[in-house]
Amino acid sequence: MSASTHGHGTVLKHHFDNLEQQHSAERLGMWFFLVTEVLFFTGMFVAYTVYRNWYPGEFAFASSHLLWWVAAINTGLLITSSLTMTLAIRSAQLGDKAGLIRRLLLTFALGAGFMGFKAFEYATDYHEKFVPGEMFRTEYARPLAELTADDAKRKFEGRPALTRTEVESYQFKGEYEHWSQDLAKRNYGREPATEGTVSPERVQLFLCFYYIMTGIHGVHIIVGLGCILWLVFEAYRGAIPREAYSKVEVISLYWHLVDMIWLFLMPLLYLIRSGGGQ
Amino acid sequence: MSIVIGDTPRTAPPPPEPETPRRNYLNETSGFWSWALTVDHKRIGILYLVSITAFFLVGGIAAGLVRANLLTPNGAILTEDQYNKAFTAHGVVMLFLFLIPSIPAVFGNFLVPLMIGAKDLAFPRLNLASWYVFMIGAAFMVWGLLSGGIDTGWTLYPPYSSRYSHASVAPGVFGVFITGFSSIMTGLNIMVTVHKMRAPGMTWGRLPLFIWAMYATSFIQLLGTPVVAITLLLLLVERLAGVGIFDPSIGGDPVLYQHLFWFYSHPAVYIMIVPGMGVVSEVLTCFSRKNIFGYKAVAWSSVGIAVVGFLVWAHHMFVAGISYYSALLFSFLTMLVAVPSAIKVFNWVATLYRGSITFQAPMMFTLAFLVLFTVGGVTGMFLATMGTDIHLHDTYFVVAHFHFVMVGGMVLAYLAGIHFWWPKMTGRMYSDFWSKTSATVIFVGFFFTFVPQFVLGYHGMPRRYPNYPEEFQVYNVLSTAGASILGVGYLMPAVYLTLSLFFGPKASANPWSATGLEWQVPSPPTVFNFEYLPITVCGPYEYAIGVDQMGRGLPEPPGAGDDNPATRVGATLLPGPQPKETEVVG
Amino acid sequence: MLDGNRGPLPAIAERASVMADLFEPLFWYITAWTTAGFLLVCALLTWCCIAYRRKPGRISTPRILGSHRLELFWTVTPLLVFLTFYAWGVYVYDKAVHPPADAPEVYVIGKQWMWKAQYPNGQRVIIGGNPKNMTEEDRQNIGALVLPLNRPVKVTFISEDVIHDFGVPAFRQKIDVIPGRYVSTWYQPTKLGEFHVFCDQYCGAWHSLMVGKIKVVPAAEFDAFLEGKGGAQGSPNPVDGSLAHKGLQHFQRLECNTCHIPNAAIGTGRHARAPNLEGLYGRDVPIKGGITIRADDQYLRDAIVNPGKHIVEGWERAMPGNYGTQVSEEDLNALIAYIKWLRPGTQLGPNNNSVAPYGAPRQTPETNKSPGGKQ
Repeated sequence: MSASTHGHGTVLKHHFDNLEQQHSAERLGMWFFLVTEVLFFTGMFVAYTVYRNWYPGEFAFASSHLLWWVAAINTGLLITSSLTMTLAIRSAQLGDKAGLIRRLLLTFALGAGFMGFKAFEYATDYHEKFVPGEMFRTEYARPLAELTADDAKRKFEGRPALTRTEVESYQFKGEYEHWSQDLAKRNYGREPATEGTVSPERVQLFLCFYYIMTGIHGVHIIVGLGCILWLVFEAYRGAIPREAYSKVEVISLYWHLVDMIWLFLMPLLYLIRSGGGQ
Repeated sequence: MSIVIGDTPRTAPPPPEPETPRRNYLNETSGFWSWALTVDHKRIGILYLVSITAFFLVGGIAAGLVRANLLTPNGAILTEDQYNKAFTAHGVVMLFLFLIPSIPAVFGNFLVPLMIGAKDLAFPRLNLASWYVFMIGAAFMVWGLLSGGIDTGWTLYPPYSSRYSHASVAPGVFGVFITGFSSIMTGLNIMVTVHKMRAPGMTWGRLPLFIWAMYATSFIQLLGTPVVAITLLLLLVERLAGVGIFDPSIGGDPVLYQHLFWFYSHPAVYIMIVPGMGVVSEVLTCFSRKNIFGYKAVAWSSVGIAVVGFLVWAHHMFVAGISYYSALLFSFLTMLVAVPSAIKVFNWVATLYRGSITFQAPMMFTLAFLVLFTVGGVTGMFLATMGTDIHLHDTYFVVAHFHFVMVGGMVLAYLAGIHFWWPKMTGRMYSDFWSKTSATVIFVGFFFTFVPQFVLGYHGMPRRYPNYPEEFQVYNVLSTAGASILGVGYLMPAVYLTLSLFFGPKASANPWSATGLEWQVPSPPTVFNFEYLPITVCGPYEYAIGVDQMGRGLPEPPGAGDDNPATRVGATLLPGPQPKETEVVG
Repeated sequence: MLDGNRGPLPAIAERASVMADLFEPLFWYITAWTTAGFLLVCALLTWCCIAYRRKPGRISTPRILGSHRLELFWTVTPLLVFLTFYAWGVYVYDKAVHPPADAPEVYVIGKQWMWKAQYPNGQRVIIGGNPKNMTEEDRQNIGALVLPLNRPVKVTFISEDVIHDFGVPAFRQKIDVIPGRYVSTWYQPTKLGEFHVFCDQYCGAWHSLMVGKIKVVPAAEFDAFLEGKGGAQGSPNPVDGSLAHKGLQHFQRLECNTCHIPNAAIGTGRHARAPNLEGLYGRDVPIKGGITIRADDQYLRDAIVNPGKHIVEGWERAMPGNYGTQVSEEDLNALIAYIKWLRPGTQLGPNNNSVAPYGAPRQTPETNKSPGGKQ
C-alpha cells in the first residue's frame, strides 16, 4: 500500500494507490471484457447449434466443401502466435525491450498471415460463388440445367432417363468438380425435401454462419493486430518498462481468447463429418 | 418476533462543518476541451446527464405524438406509417438513450468512486470513451429517425424488420448496437472499481445499497448486452445482405431471433429498475433517519434479481410458438424472480417503521416509487401466469405494466436521485415548493395516463394500434389527458433545476445530513474527491446513532425546524472496540 | 359484441368461449391477491408516513437492523401465493394449447394485411383485413370466420410473410402466426354473435387494420354453411369455394348483370333489361301466354341455354341464345347454384363497392381533416 512498489513516475496512474492495485484492476477489467466477448460469440454458437441439430445433412455437405487445408494452416499460425505472445510478456517482465519488440512483431506477422490466408480463402469462395443469396442460386442452377437438359435430350431420343450411377459419374463441362455439381448430383431425380436430398436453401444457411462467424472472428483478429502494433509503438518509445509489463499481459489475454474462439470455431465449421456415404 | 437492535456505541460531539472550497470539479478547469477530453468521472456523469435529458425530450415528444393520435379511433393527427415510426422512436430512444444509461451512467459514474472512497473509476479514459461511443450510437439512431424513421417497434422482430420494412432500419439498428458497447464499458468499469478500489474499512458488508445495486446492474450489463449485440448484428446482416439466419425461406427461424433478443432484453429491464432500487434505499433511510431494515436481504435480492433475471426470457414468448414444456419452465422461474422485488418492498416499508420522516422532494419521489412500482410489479404476475398471459399478451395491459415499472419505478427513482444528489453535483439547492409540486403533478399525471390502459388491455385492445374500435375511445382520451399532465410535470424540474444553477442558494456539504462518504466532501466535490484517505468504520445508514460512515457526527437534518443544535443526536464514534449487535428476544 | 357501443366498458369483458370461462376466475383470483398486497403496502406506507412524520424536538429513532423471521415470512408467503398463480395458470394454459382430439380443423392464413380462412370442405372466407391490400375479388368476399356454438374447432395458422397474431379477446385466446411453421389453437364458442379478431403482433403499416370478425352461429346453421347454403359468413357473396361462388364467377364472366340488374339499382336511373333474379328460385313465374311455371332447376337451365322457350310476362325476348355454347354442364350447375343462392339484396351491381370490415377507416373524405392522407 505504501510507496515501496511505486515505480516509474508515469506508470502508476493517479487514481490508483499502488502498482499492485493498478495491475490487478487492469487484469480484472480485461477478464471481464473477455467474458463479454465469450457471450458475444456464444449467441452465434447457440444459433449454430440449433440449426446444425435441425439440418445435419446440409451442414455436413456445406462443411465438406470448405477449404479445410487453409483452416489447418490458419490454426497452426494462430496457436504459434499465442506462444510468441506469451513469450513477449516474458520479455516485458525482464525489461528486454528488443526481445519484446521482436516477439510482438512475430506475433503480428503470424496474425497477419492468418488474415492473409483468410483473404485467400474468401477470394476462392467468392470465385466459386459459394456465397449465400443470389450468387449461390444462380451457380446451383447451372449444373442443374445441364443435367436436366441432357436427361430431356435422352428422353427425346427415346432412350430411358439417366440412372443414379450415370448421374454420379457425370462429368460437367468445366475445369473441375464444383460444389454446385456435387449438390446437383445429389439432388438429381429426387423430390425436394425427401430422404437423401440436400436442400440448397439450408446449405445457404450454413454459409451464412460460415461467413458471419469467421468474419466477426476476423474483425477481432484485426483489432488484436492493431493492439499489438500499438504495443510495439509503446515499447519502441520506452513506455513499457519492467513495471508496466501488465500492458502486454492484458493484450495477450485478449489475443489468447481470440485464438481460443478459433479453436472452437474451426472444428464446428470445417470438420463436420457426415456419417459416411452422404 | 426477534428484531435485531444494535447497542448505541460511545460517542463524542461532532466536528465543525468544513468550509466549501472555491475550486471544485466544475470550475477547476474551463473551456470546451477541458470538458470534451475530461477523464474526471464527475464531469463524465454530467455529460451523460445533459445528453440523456436531451434524449428524454425527444422520446417524450414521440410519446406525445402517440398519445395525441390515440384521441380518436382512426388516428387524430398522424397517418398509420407516421404513428408506427412515432411509437418505435419513443421506445428505442427512451430505452436505449435514456433509461438504460440513466442511473448507471449519471449517478453510477458520479457517485460510485465517492461512495467507496476512491479518487476515480478504475478506467477513466474508458469512461470517457463510453460517453463518446454512446453519442456515436445516438447519432446513428438520430440519423435513422431523420432519414425516414424506423417503423418496426423497438423489438425489431424479423421477418418484418429484416425483409419487409421500407423504413430506415439499418442506421437505427446499428445505433443501438453501438450504444450497447457504451453500456458494457460502464458496467465493466463499475464492477472493477467496486472490486479493487474500495477505501480502507469499506468492506462488502458496509457498502451502501446503491453500490450493491450498481454492482448487480453492471453484472447484467456485462453479460447480457453482448448477446443483443450479436443478435442485432445478425439482423443487420440479414437486412443489408438480403439473406440471413432468421429467414424462413432458407430454413431459418424468426422465433430464434426472439429467443436471442429477449435473452438480453429481459435482463435489460432489470438494468432499468435495479439502480432505481438502489437510489430508493439511499433516500428512504436518510429521510426517515433509520437504518435500512434487512441490509443483507436487500443487498442479496439485487444480486438475486440479476442472476435469476437471466433465466426467464421466454415469458415474453408464451404465445410465440415455444413448446409447452418450455413455457412451464419459464413461468415457474418468473415466479421466482418476482420474490426478491417483493422482499425489497417489504424491507423498505419496514424501514419507515418508527422513523422520523420528512417529505422533501427526494422522499416524495421515493414514496411515489413505492406505490407505483408495487402496482407495476404485481401486474407483472398476470403476465407471468401462463393462463392469463395468453389473453393479456401484446395488449395495453402489458404497456401499462411496463410503464408502471419503468416510469413509475425507474424514472421516479431517477428523479428522486436527481433531487437528492443535485446539491452534491452542482453545489446549489432548488426550490422546495416547486420540487414537491412537480412530484405531485407527475404522480397524478402518471396515474391517469396508465391506469386506464389496464382496463383497455383487459378488454383486448392491442398495442401498437393507431386505429381501434370505438368502444375503447373513452379510456384512450382519459389516458391522453393524463399524459398531458405528466408532460407538464416533467417540464417543471427542467425549469426549477436549471434556475437553481443560477439563483439557488449554495448548498452545504451535507444538506440532507446523510451518512454516505459522498456527503463528507464539499458540494460540489473537488477534482480528486477526497483530500485525505477516508477510512470507513461502520455500515451505511447509521442514522439512529447519528454518525456517518467515517464515524463522525452528522449535521442537523433538514426539516428539523426548531430543533436545538445542542440537543441533536449526532456525535463522533470514539475509537476503540465497538459493541457488537445484540439481539432482543421476545 | 361488435355493436359500436361507445359507452363505458363492462366490468367483466364479454366471455364467449370455454377458454374465457376458464380465464376469468383465474384473472380475478390474481387480482384479489395483488390488490390486497398493493393495498396492504399503501396502508402501511400511509400509516408510517402519518404516525412517524418528523415531530418537533429531539430526533430519536431506534437502531433496528432487521428480523430473520420477518424476512422468512415475507419471502415464503409471496412465493407460495405466486406458486398458486402458477399452478392455476398451468391448468388454464394446458387447456388453451391442447385442442380436443376430434375437433374439425380450419386453416387460417395471415398475410399483410388480411386473414383468410379455409374450411375442411374447401370453402374460403376472408375473415377481415385492410380492403386496400386485397384484390377486388377478395374485397367482395370479406366476411367472418364462422364457428359453431358449443362445438370445438381446431384452427391451424401459418403466415405468408411476417409474424402476425390471431387474437380474439372474447375467447381470451391468441396465438402468434409464424411464416414457415404451422401453429394451432382451438376455440369452443359458448355465445352467439360477432366478436373482434385483432392482429396482435406488430406486422407493419396496416397492422391495426388487420382486424376481422368471428361469427358464432347455431350448429345447424354452421352445418348448412359448410354445405354452401346460406350466407353465415356475412359477406355479400356466396362462400368462396362453394358451387354458388363458382356460379358467381361465371355470372360475372358472362356479364349477366348488365341486364339482370339487382333491386338495389332501381331508382338509380338504370333500366333493367331483364327480370330481376333475386329470390327467383322457387317462385312461380308468370309466362307470356297465361301460364305460370315454378322456377326450378330445369326452368333455370332452359332460361340460360334456350331463352326463347319461356318469355316472362311483361318482358320482351332480348336474351341472346348462344349462351349455351359458352357454358359447360358443370358451369351450368354452378350458375344454377348461384341463382338459387340469390336472395333479395344480395346481388352486387356492376358499380357496387364491397362492405369494409369493422375497424377500417370510415370513408368520409370531406370530414377527414388530418394533415396527411391515409395511404
